[in-house]
Amino acid sequence: MFSTVLEQFVNGIVTGSVYAIVAVGMTMIFGVLRAINFAHGEYYMLGTFGAWFAIDYLGLSYEASIVVGVLATVVVAYVIGQLVMRRMVGAPAESGVLATLGIALILQNAIIFVFGGGYKFFAGGYIEPVSILGFSLAQQRILILVVCLLVFVGLELMVTYSRLGMAMRAVSQNVDCCGVVGIDVPQVVLRTFILGAALAALSGVLTAPVNVSVYGGMGELITFKTLPIIIMGGLGNVRGTFFAAMILGVAESLVATYVGLQFRDTVGFATLILMLMWRPHGLFSTQARF
Amino acid sequence: MSLTETAQQARRRDYRIPLAAVLVVVALAAPFIGSRYVTHSLIIALIFMLPAHGLNLLVGYTGLLSLAQAAFFGIGAYTAGLLAVTYGTSFYVNLIASGLVTGAIALPLGIPALRLRSTSFVMCTLGFVIIGQAISKNWISLTRGDMGLSGIPKPYFELGPLSFTLSGTTNFYYLALIIGAMATLAAWAIVRSPAGRNMVAIRENEILAESLGVPTWHYKLIVFMISAVFAGVGGCLYAYYLSVVSPLTFQMYYSTTMLIIVLGGGAGMISGTVFGSLLFVGLTEALRITPELRMIAYGLCLLILVFWFKNGFAPLINRFWNAIGGAR
Amino acid sequence: MTHTITRRMLCISTAILTIAGAVPLVTGAAQAADSIKLGIVAPMSGPNARYGAFSMRGAELAVKDINDAGGVDGMKIELFNADSQGTPVEGVSATRRLIDQDGVDFIIGDVSSSVTLAMQPVAEDAEVLLLNAASSNPKITYQAGVGGFKWTYRNYPTDENRALIVAKYAAEQRSFTKFAVLSVDSDYGRSAITFTKKYLPDFKGQILSEDYYKEGEVDFRSVLAKIRDNGAQAIIMYGLADTTPIVARQMIELGLAGKVTLIGNGEFNTEKTIKSAPSALEGAVEAAAWLPAFDSPASKAFVEKFTTTYKEAPNNHAYVHWDTVNLLAAAVKQAGSADKEKVRDALSKIKYKSPVGDVSFDDHNQARLPMILLQIENGKPSIKGAYTADIQYPAK
Repeated sequence: MFSTVLEQFVNGIVTGSVYAIVAVGMTMIFGVLRAINFAHGEYYMLGTFGAWFAIDYLGLSYEASIVVGVLATVVVAYVIGQLVMRRMVGAPAESGVLATLGIALILQNAIIFVFGGGYKFFAGGYIEPVSILGFSLAQQRILILVVCLLVFVGLELMVTYSRLGMAMRAVSQNVDCCGVVGIDVPQVVLRTFILGAALAALSGVLTAPVNVSVYGGMGELITFKTLPIIIMGGLGNVRGTFFAAMILGVAESLVATYVGLQFRDTVGFATLILMLMWRPHGLFSTQARF
Repeated sequence: MSLTETAQQARRRDYRIPLAAVLVVVALAAPFIGSRYVTHSLIIALIFMLPAHGLNLLVGYTGLLSLAQAAFFGIGAYTAGLLAVTYGTSFYVNLIASGLVTGAIALPLGIPALRLRSTSFVMCTLGFVIIGQAISKNWISLTRGDMGLSGIPKPYFELGPLSFTLSGTTNFYYLALIIGAMATLAAWAIVRSPAGRNMVAIRENEILAESLGVPTWHYKLIVFMISAVFAGVGGCLYAYYLSVVSPLTFQMYYSTTMLIIVLGGGAGMISGTVFGSLLFVGLTEALRITPELRMIAYGLCLLILVFWFKNGFAPLINRFWNAIGGAR
Repeated sequence: MTHTITRRMLCISTAILTIAGAVPLVTGAAQAADSIKLGIVAPMSGPNARYGAFSMRGAELAVKDINDAGGVDGMKIELFNADSQGTPVEGVSATRRLIDQDGVDFIIGDVSSSVTLAMQPVAEDAEVLLLNAASSNPKITYQAGVGGFKWTYRNYPTDENRALIVAKYAAEQRSFTKFAVLSVDSDYGRSAITFTKKYLPDFKGQILSEDYYKEGEVDFRSVLAKIRDNGAQAIIMYGLADTTPIVARQMIELGLAGKVTLIGNGEFNTEKTIKSAPSALEGAVEAAAWLPAFDSPASKAFVEKFTTTYKEAPNNHAYVHWDTVNLLAAAVKQAGSADKEKVRDALSKIKYKSPVGDVSFDDHNQARLPMILLQIENGKPSIKGAYTADIQYPAK
């Protein structure tokens, strides 16, 4: 009994790591832009497609495909950032919803148009299972866990010490004052956006070997999983997002085991609503950012 | 429209009444002008217009961005579908029941949700849609789960000794037109009433409104319920028109569709929502000429809407209104 | 001055709106005399496009072949496609457009059952022949033929037949008694399991756990661990083709491969699926309407042609749409004209030789199709038999 619970806990942590890497990008973008990015899952999809393309068409190794996938997404994100995201500084919430939905439609269906709508198989990665502490895990999942921890340590350091990180925090607190002290707000927004998109792409490439199937609409599901996480984590809060993702991962895993897999996708929003009843400002937010 | 602008307006000829007459004639004659496909598209526009009116009251007048409309739309559709299939009750009974049930469900959902602000409120309302879908999929004894409700009969009326069934696209169009017109009038009446002005006050500055004695909490809750009633009635029409209700009705796609209608037409304007629903259906149907590029083009249209038509088509409609002689 | 600008804006915007409104009226007018107008309704955008894409290609390939060979009695097939996005509203709009603007007499569609159910009354109303090739909801033909809708035909097996064959084989040939359910949370997955439950007691089988996954789900570790612990011998999976490799790989991860067998349907048999997780799929049992490895000249030719044309292997959806276009062509040929009423009558009486076997329609316009039962042996599907059974319709 106990070992089952522990195993499900570990499963949840691994799932949570995937969500965490995607969600942290989304939450940082929210921090600087005050817009919910409904297109965030599409960058996850783009990264996976880039890597799939590298392996299937260019014949590259999996390691190289990670680079290709992330770089391809960065290029796309740069274009979208320049054309769309920069202009969204100070725009009302509903414009953000519509614009990002528009981007999601364009990206998703452009991929379907170019590569065909059918699903593809992702070949590559380290899918051999290994046994740790009596649990059997694919090596790839351990890689995901490690990368997730590295990403979060890196982000903590970056947000605290680097120039961009400080600028991001400044922008998320007061856009007008940033202009006064000479912070180039659109530039910060652009860089944060590219960073967020690259992280989503990284998460996509890392999970592709265990998720196998690659198709144009795969990003939507991830967007829906990450939306409750970023709210629970306290919009714009990097550390909070990490814990919220882990909580959701574990909760989903336990619900799938003891209640039924069919309720899994509901867990995120159900937890979110319950949490909001209890703490309307998120679990980890130190101040109200709403 | 600022005051100075309206004051300067030269009011020479007033075309509003002739225009209204023309619009009424066009609306009535539409099934005979265009093909059945055009009539069908107009029905879809009318069905979506109802929840959009409700959303407009929320977003446009009270300033609450909600994505819950699809959940209420689905509840209305299921209520009407279940009543029609199980009990075979008349259309108008089901229509009223859909509105009442949805409004009643909106109350307990609105109380906690409305305590939240901006982004949390948006996500909470989106959560209603996701949870609604899970319930409709898993409460099999009531909703028949994924198999969905099919074979919903054509609208059936029982007025005293008289009973008849409405069949055919043209007849359904007139039914939808009557309900749509009534809903538009209802929305207009709400907005023009003192309550409507209080709603705008809440949108502009909730704290100030509160300090002026507007019971903001009650207002928000009631508007949330009214918007749900509109969505429920729309759901009823949807169920009757498509004859199928499945868990797919609970989709964010519908919520965003309604949001696009409201913002595209111009939030905070009744005529904007009417125009928006026609525009939305016209656009998506016109884009069918390229099935492969359709959704890409649609996405581009959304971006154009956000960046070049910041207030939707509201300024254009206002200009038109002024040009034909209306002051406001 | 401002006034003129307003006027000009007004004129321009009115003109644009008028043109936009008039476009569909003009384009719909063209009529070609001797061609068979066929419309395909399938999800072509959004997440469901992964099913629609194969459908379109299958149909396109069949139309191209028929037209290259001179058409049906000299009549070329004109193909129109319309996007349903997998939602009923869009599906109905697409159907309306095909009927009223493009003037099609025949429609093949949709993949999703709830879309097909919504399309049925539209086709009936317009008296256009609706051929379904991929929806498995039993209701579609319960309410067709003598059940009501005269214009709906289905060239796809229902879940009932499939569930019975799989349950029978698993119990009798493989002597499984303990089952776990892991199916897709859609009418297809749910109804297949409902029928399985109806027949399982006859074979002394019991279901230990029941889970349904949502489309696009990628994490099955929790459920598979539960199944590992409850001691089920087989997983009944009526799933989606793109999910099978994910489940199979995670079975390997959790050490279920070789201990628990997958039975049901979900393209267990394609080369790519087996290659993705050979040890988990070994011994898997599947009931399929068709499989790429099916050994008949027509089927082999289709696989080869599809692969060379589109640079990817066909799947079940591609095949059923390809086959349904051919079925329609055969019906037109038999009717001797493209008149929809004559074609419909021909279809009711048709004895069509599909690459898999003989196809005919019952009084509910449901095709009696051979269902192929296969087992994966040494990484290759091995066919264990083909079954045709009549559907038992519930008494009205």
